[in-house]
Amino acid sequence: MKTEIVASGNQVIAKFSGRLDTAAAVQTAEDVKPLMEAANKEIILDCTALEYISSSGLRIFLGIRKEAAPHGSKVIVRNINADIRQVFIMTGFVSLFEIQ
Amino acid sequence: MDLHSEIILEEYRSQLPVFEKMQAEVMRILQEAVARRGLHVTTLESRIKKEDSLCGKLALKGSKYHSLSDITDILGARIVTFYTDDVDRIASMVEQEFDIDWQNSVDKRMLHQLDRFGYNSLHYICRLPGYVYPFELQLRTTLQHAWASINHDIGYKSGVEIPREYLRRINRLAGILELADDEFSRIRAEITDYRRRVHQLVQNGKLDDVLLDGDTFGSYLQARPFDALNKRIAAINQAEIEEVPLTRYLRVFKAFGCKTLGDVQRLKHQYEDAAYRLARHQLGNTDLDIISSAVGVQNLCIVYVIANGGGKIGLVHLFDAINGHNTQNEEIADVTYNLAKSMQL
Repeated sequence: MKTEIVASGNQVIAKFSGRLDTAAAVQTAEDVKPLMEAANKEIILDCTALEYISSSGLRIFLGIRKEAAPHGSKVIVRNINADIRQVFIMTGFVSLFEIQ
Repeated sequence: MDLHSEIILEEYRSQLPVFEKMQAEVMRILQEAVARRGLHVTTLESRIKKEDSLCGKLALKGSKYHSLSDITDILGARIVTFYTDDVDRIASMVEQEFDIDWQNSVDKRMLHQLDRFGYNSLHYICRLPGYVYPFELQLRTTLQHAWASINHDIGYKSGVEIPREYLRRINRLAGILELADDEFSRIRAEITDYRRRVHQLVQNGKLDDVLLDGDTFGSYLQARPFDALNKRIAAINQAEIEEVPLTRYLRVFKAFGCKTLGDVQRLKHQYEDAAYRLARHQLGNTDLDIISSAVGVQNLCIVYVIANGGGKIGLVHLFDAINGHNTQNEEIADVTYNLAKSMQL
């Protein structure tokens, strides 16, 4: 599992690749910390190369959303694959995030 | 300026640090008192009278004052509120926080003759323990403040006496604003009463009597109507439930043709078992142990669309209403439709 953070204009993009499962969650939670400091920016969670997400991964996404809201930042989940889309639907997370 | 006025002016200069200290203390007391009572004010401000303004006052009526402490507005504070009944609440707060010099305080709202309109604000002359100097506190509504500010701008800045006809027109406007102030207060009181009655109807389960709108749906959600369904769904995997606002589902229920909260409640009763079965089918083979509190109502809506022949297009509209329009909604709808059809919902 790899996480890359890229700042671009008014956006901060986190590019995830691999499987965001329980084993990868601790390191990923550490890797996304710079996102928490982004105030008044659009936070993009780019899932183009993300193959799988577990409950632990959902909790990381949720944590980013919770930290972003008081800073006036908006969180967008981008390019999720069919399996992850299914996870977002069945957990009701489609109502939590803007999905593009 | 005569010698008497010069002495008062000298006292003013030497006591400026005292007024600055008083100003900070008055502002602190007012800010804390307003916050403690949860009152909403639009402006809370203060100023110390400038020297040239005091000189002007002394030149006009210096002999009236024995000393600086007779001039009550060297320190002036002002509180502005939206509603007239809030002015009364703030007045009551001020009476509790400061010693009021009732002889010199003026409620101009009470002084008006029945056939005249004008400047309707409340002026308190207050004292702070430990200080010899009084200060003035003005309480006004936003509309009174607007009128007073414009009246001051028109009436005093030009340096030319305003003809009676114009004064009359300005005062007629004060009458209109007084009516508007009263109407705003009445509207607020009636809306508060309406919300209370709706809340009561929701509490008493008389949902068919309550039209579906933003306010009523908010009251309905306060009764947590989807909690039981969410808990059933959460129990599938012993999941934790993440709370999210459900207000966006108002437009979904409206699009389904629900006119009253009773319609929403009937839809819930009719489809909640199918909504649960959909969740069990989806989550049962996973170890996902976190769900959002939207999952229950979301599944209800999915099941409603499928059961009423809405098909994929209906689901796209549903996800557009929940998430905002974007192309991913078509794919989400596609996955959901195929799953729901396989279950013969």
